[in-house]
Amino acid sequence: MKHSITLNVNGDTYNLAVDPWRTLNEVLREDLNLTGTKFGCGSGDCGACTVMLDGRAVSSCLTLAVEADGKEILTVEGLAPSGEKLHPIQEAFIEKGAIQCGFCTPGMEIAALDLLRRNPGPKEDQIREALAGNLCRCTGYAKIVEAVQDAADKMKSNQS
Amino acid sequence: MPIPRFDYFAPRTVDEAVNLLAQAGPDGRVMAGGTDLLVKIRFRVIHPAAIVGLKKIEGLERISFSRNKGLTIGATALLADVAASSPVRRYYPGVAQAADQTANVQVRNMGTVVGNLCNASPSADNAPTLLALGARVRITGPGGQRSMSLEDFFRGPGMTALEPGEIVTAVTVPLPPPRSATAYLSLSARAKLDCSAVGVGVMLALDDRDRCKDLRIFVGACAPIPVRAGGAEQVLIGEKLTDSTVEQAALEAAKATQPIDDVRASADYRYKMATVLTIRAIMDARKRALRKKN
Amino acid sequence: MEKHAIIGKDIPRTDGRAKATGAAMYTDDFKLPGMLHGKLLRSPLPHARIVHIDVSKARALPGVKCVITGADTPKIKFGNWRLFPATQDEYPLAVDKVRFIGDEVAAVAAIDRDIAEEALELIEVEYEELPAVFDVDAAIAEGAPVIHEQSPGNISIDRKINYGDVDKALAEAYYVREDTFTVHAVSHAYLEPCSSLAQVDLDGRITIWTSTQTPYIVQCLLAATLGMRENDVRVIKPYVGGGFGGKMELRTWEFCAAFMAKKTGRPVKFTLTREEELAYGRRRHPMKIRSKVGFTKDGILVGKDLKILLDGGAYNSMGPTATFLCGNFGAMLYRYPSYRFLGEHVYTNKPPAGAMRGFGAPQSLFAAESQMNLAAEELGIDPIELRIKNAMVTGDRIPGVATISSCGFIESLKEVAKMSGWKSKRRRLKDGRGIGVGCYSFISGGVFNWFNTQYPFSAAEIRAYADGTVHLLTMASDIGQGSDTVLKQILAEELGLKMEDIRITSADTAMTPQADLGSWGSRVTLMAGNSILKAARKIKKQLAGAVSAKFNLNVIFDIKFADGRVFAAGKPDRGMSFGEAVAFVQKANRGEPLVARGSYTPRGKGLVTPAFSFGAQVAEVEVDKETGLVKVKKMWTAHDCGTVLNPMAVEGQLDGSIQMGLGYALSEQFVMDGGKTLNTTFLDYKMPHAPDMPPGESVCIETYEPEGPMGAKEAGEGLVSPTAPAIAEAVWHATGFRCKDLPITPEKILRGTGKL
Ligand SMILES: Cc1cc2nc3c(=O)[nH]c(=O)nc-3n(C[C@H](O)[C@H](O)[C@H](O)COP(=O)(O)OP(=O)(O)OC[C@H]3O[C@@H](n4cnc5c(N)ncnc54)[C@H](O)[C@@H]3O)c2cc1C
Ligand code: FES
Ligand code: FES
Repeated sequence: MKHSITLNVNGDTYNLAVDPWRTLNEVLREDLNLTGTKFGCGSGDCGACTVMLDGRAVSSCLTLAVEADGKEILTVEGLAPSGEKLHPIQEAFIEKGAIQCGFCTPGMEIAALDLLRRNPGPKEDQIREALAGNLCRCTGYAKIVEAVQDAADKMKSNQS
Repeated sequence: MPIPRFDYFAPRTVDEAVNLLAQAGPDGRVMAGGTDLLVKIRFRVIHPAAIVGLKKIEGLERISFSRNKGLTIGATALLADVAASSPVRRYYPGVAQAADQTANVQVRNMGTVVGNLCNASPSADNAPTLLALGARVRITGPGGQRSMSLEDFFRGPGMTALEPGEIVTAVTVPLPPPRSATAYLSLSARAKLDCSAVGVGVMLALDDRDRCKDLRIFVGACAPIPVRAGGAEQVLIGEKLTDSTVEQAALEAAKATQPIDDVRASADYRYKMATVLTIRAIMDARKRALRKKN
Repeated sequence: MEKHAIIGKDIPRTDGRAKATGAAMYTDDFKLPGMLHGKLLRSPLPHARIVHIDVSKARALPGVKCVITGADTPKIKFGNWRLFPATQDEYPLAVDKVRFIGDEVAAVAAIDRDIAEEALELIEVEYEELPAVFDVDAAIAEGAPVIHEQSPGNISIDRKINYGDVDKALAEAYYVREDTFTVHAVSHAYLEPCSSLAQVDLDGRITIWTSTQTPYIVQCLLAATLGMRENDVRVIKPYVGGGFGGKMELRTWEFCAAFMAKKTGRPVKFTLTREEELAYGRRRHPMKIRSKVGFTKDGILVGKDLKILLDGGAYNSMGPTATFLCGNFGAMLYRYPSYRFLGEHVYTNKPPAGAMRGFGAPQSLFAAESQMNLAAEELGIDPIELRIKNAMVTGDRIPGVATISSCGFIESLKEVAKMSGWKSKRRRLKDGRGIGVGCYSFISGGVFNWFNTQYPFSAAEIRAYADGTVHLLTMASDIGQGSDTVLKQILAEELGLKMEDIRITSADTAMTPQADLGSWGSRVTLMAGNSILKAARKIKKQLAGAVSAKFNLNVIFDIKFADGRVFAAGKPDRGMSFGEAVAFVQKANRGEPLVARGSYTPRGKGLVTPAFSFGAQVAEVEVDKETGLVKVKKMWTAHDCGTVLNPMAVEGQLDGSIQMGLGYALSEQFVMDGGKTLNTTFLDYKMPHAPDMPPGESVCIETYEPEGPMGAKEAGEGLVSPTAPAIAEAVWHATGFRCKDLPITPEKILRGTGKL
C-alpha cells in the first residue's frame, strides 16, 4: 500500500504517495527530479547521496521516504536558493579546485555544511573525520579539505 | 538494485509496536535507524514482509542518567547523540567513544546503539565496551517486560535471545566501579571509521594498592559473538599489572577466540591481534584508572 | 620564455558552478518520456557452455517490454584493437559460452527497475559447466581448459622488444639480480556507476547519452555491433563522474540500450549498481613480473631481461595495449644499453582487466623501481644516487621506440631529495619509521593506431564571432580531469581572449569534428591542444590580415593578440578589438562565417608517444610493528610535466594520483574465491578515505616539451606509479621487510618480520 507523505524539500512542500520500500534518494531523484543528489552505491558507503534531514546529514539511499514524512530536507539544490549568489561552501569548492568530476561534490558540500553548523572553526583532522563518510576518487581530498577551511572563514566573516 | 517490497508501520507506542510485530509474525522486522536492516534487505540477505519502525515512539530516543540507576540508552537514541551526550561522556567515556568511532557521520545520524547490539554482528563496535561494563538490555514483548544481561543476549552472528515479537526498549549500564576505566581498541585496513577486523574492550578496576580488583575483557570479530576472555581476567584479578602478567593474560584472551578467515582478515592475524590489542587495551585502561585516586 | 596571460594560472574549472549547485547532469540524471529501465542477467559460473535459455516467463511478466539474449543480436564481435580483428573477442551478449562470473547473458527492459529485476529471475538458463582457470600459471599449463578457441594456449597476444646484447651484458656484469614481483587487481572505483541512455529517432538513428571517456570509439563499435553505419549513431557524453580508464570501450549496456531502444521504439536506460561495478567491472591487470638486471661495479646499468605475464581475465579488453606498454615502461627512466622484453597476455576465467590510469606503468614500475632499491642496497649506493647515475636525459633514444624530447628527471630526483630531507632521514629515523623513493615516466598520448581510425587522432573547429566570442568544438572528453577548462585556456591564451569569451561544445559525435580518440593515455592536452592551436592559428592569420589591411601596416610588423585586441606589435593604437577584426574578415568574405579547423596526428614519433613526463616521489611511513599497520606520514613529489598550464589542476591530479597509489600499495584489493569477487561494496573494497591521506608537498620541474602545446605534456596519470614502490621501500627501511607482492598488508608485514 502506498503511503501519503509530505516532504519539505528546500523550502517547498510536496505531497506524495510512495511505496514504503522506496528510498528518499529515489523519490528525490525520480519523483521530484532533484537529480543534484547522487547515487553512488546504495549501501551507505560513499556519501554521494548525502542530504540534510531535519538539520543532520544522512545518507538518502538508506533513508526510507516514509520515514522522512513531515521532515525538512535540504539538498544541494537548496544550498543557494536564489540561484545567483552561491553558498560560501559552493564558492570555496569552486575556487579551491575541490571539484573534479563533481560526482562526490553535492554530498561533500552537504557533509561540509553539517560540520560547519556543528563546528564553525574546524581543525584539519576534524574536517577529515567529518568527511570520512564521503568518498572521492579524483581529488585525494586535499583541496576539498582546503575548501572547507576556506568556507569556514567565509562563513565567519559573513556573520561578523 | 532497488529495495524489495515490504509494508511499513510507524507505531506511536511500544505496545502498538509489539502488537504489530505479533501480527506480522516471522516476516516482521523491527527497524531503528535501518543502517543495517536496509542494507541487508537490499542485498537480499533477508526478505521481511513488514517493517515496524521505532522512530515515532515517543521517549525511546531518550538518554538518561542518574547516580543510582546508571545510564539508560533508549532504543532510538542515535549513535551521534550518545557520542555527544554529556553524562555519557562524563561517566562512560568509553561508551561515548565507541559510538563516536562507529561508521561515519551520516550513519551515526541515522543508526542507533541499540540497533548496533540487536544486529548482533560479531564486529559490532559498541558491544565490547558495553559488555565490559556489565550492561543489560530491557525487553518488551507479547509476554510483558523482562531484562537480561547483554552477555546473555548475543547468541550467534545476527542472532539474539529475543523471542518472536520482542523489542529491546533500552540498554542500561550500571555506574562503573570506583577507580575503573574502560578502553576499546579496534583494527581495520583503513585508518578509521571502518568495520573492524578485530576489537577488544576492557573494563578495569583497581584497588587502593593499584592491583587489579576487577576486570572484564571482551573480544569482538573473532568468534560468532563478542567473546568474554574469562581465563585472561582470572590471570590478572587480584594481581599487579606488570608487562609480563598482562602479556600472559592477553595470550589467554586469544585462546577464548575462534577466529575465521574472511574478506577483512585471516584467522591467524585475528588471533595474534586479539593478544596485541588486549595488552594495549588493558594498559590503556590502567593508565586512566591510575589517574583516579581513591 | 613568453609571458602568458592565462596559461600557468590557477583558473578554476569552468564547469565548477554547474557541479557545485547540482545542476550538472550525469547520464543517470536524464529521463525521457516513455523511458524503459534495463537490467542485465549475468553468468553465475566462471566458465560454461550455454545449453539453453528460456525467456518466455520473463517476457510474459506484465511491464516487461523487451528481453534479449545473444541469439537475438547480430552476433558481431567487438574490441578496441580494430587494426587486428583477431583480437576482437567479445560479443555484446554471450553467444554459446560464458567465460567469467558476470559475463552478460541476457537483458531486460521494463517500465520500472523493480519489474526489470524481477524479470531477470524468471529467465531460465541451462549451463554445462566447464573447468575454469583463475591464475596465469594454471592458464598456460599443459592441458589447461581453453577459454577462447582461437587461443589454444590461452595466450591471446604477446609482445617482444629486444635491443643490445642482453645475454652478453648480463653475463659480463659485475652485479646481477633476478626478482619476481606480483601485482594485483584493483578497481577504478570512479564514483559514478556506468550508465547509458539510448533513444531512436524517426529515421531509426540512435542517440546515446553515455558515461564514457571515448565517444568516438563507442560510436564506431556500437554501429559495428548493431550492423549500422557509423553516422547513424550519435554519442553524447554528458558530465562523467570519473573514468580512470574504466570507461573507454564499448560496453554491453551501451549495445543493449541501443538495440532495445530500436526494438521497442522507446528510450532505454541502463545504470549499473556499485556491486556490479565491483564484482564484474574492468580492473587493473594483475601481473607476474620476472626481471633480471645487471650493473657495473659503479652501479651503471648494463642490461635488463624482463618477462611479464598479464592476467587479462576473460577477454582482451585493453589488454593488448597494456601488454605493449608495460614493456615500454620497463625500459624507461634509465639508460639500459641492452633490453629484452617478453610480455604475454593470458586469458583466465575472471572479470577482464582493462585500461586503468597508468596503463601498465604502475605494475611494471613497481617491479623496476623496487629492483633499483634492492640493487642500491646490495651495491651500497644510495638509491637516489643510483638513479641519478643511470637517469635518462633530454635527447636520449630508446632504440626503435622513442626519443626523449624533454626530460626533467635528474632535477626531479635532486629536488625530491632536498624537499624530503632524504640524506639525514635515510641515515636516522625514529624506530618504526622509514623513508623510500619511487619514480615514474609516462606517455602523453599514444602514437600507435590500434583503433585503426580513418580520421586525425584529434581535431578542433573554431568559430569566431563578431561579438568577440569564440566557439570551440572538439570531441575531446572531459571526464572530470578538467580538459574542457584547459583547452579553453589554451585557446583563450592563443587568441588573446578571456576565459569568458570561449564557448565550448565537446564530446558529441554529431556536432564536433571527426575525430578524437578519447580521454586516455594522457593524450588530450597534447593532442587536442595541438589541434586547437592549429585551428586558432588559421583564425589568427585571417584576423591579422584584416588589421594589416585596415591600418595599412608595413609587412614587417608582427601582429599581436592580447587583451581582446588584435594590433601591431609595439603600436597598440594600430589595431582593433577581436570582434571588430572578425567582423572585418566576415565583411571581406561577403558574410561567410569565420571558421577554421585544425587537427593533430602524431607522425614520426616512434612507436609509443610524442612526449614523456618524468618524476620522483618520496614516502615516509610509520609502521606499527605489532599490528603491521602502515601509516604514511608524508609524501614529497617532484615532477616534470613540461609547461604547467594550470597549476591548481595539476596539483589536483597529483593529489588524486596519490590516493589511488596509496590504495594500490596498501589497502585496495579484490578478495577472490576462484572466479568470484567477494568484496563488492565500498565498505570492503577499501579505497582511502579523507582521514587516511597523508600530507604532501610537491614541485613541478618546468621543462619545455617541443611537441606539446605551449610546451606542455602529461600530468597526473603517470603519477599513480611511484607511490607503491616508494612505500614498499619505506616499509623496508622501517622494518627490514621487502614486499615484492602487492598490496603491502599488515599480515604480510607481520609474516615478513617473523611476527606471525
Ligand atoms: C556505511 C556503514 C558503515 C558502518 N560502520 C560500522 C562500524 O564501523 N561499526 C559497527 O559496529 N557498525 C557499523 N555499521 C553498521 C550499523 O550502522 C550499526 O550497526 C548501527 O548501529 C545499526 O543501528 P540501526 O539503528 O541503524 O539498526 P537497524 O538497521 O535499524 O537494526 C539492526 C538490526 O537490529 C534489529 N533491531 C533494531 N532495533 C531493535 C530493537 N529495538 N529491538 C529489537 N530489534 C532491533 C533490526 O531488526 C535489525 O535486525 C555500518 C553501517 C554502514 C551502512
Ligand atoms: S549512495 Fe548513499 S552512500 Fe553511496
Ligand atoms: S571529484 Fe570525482 S569523485 Fe570527487
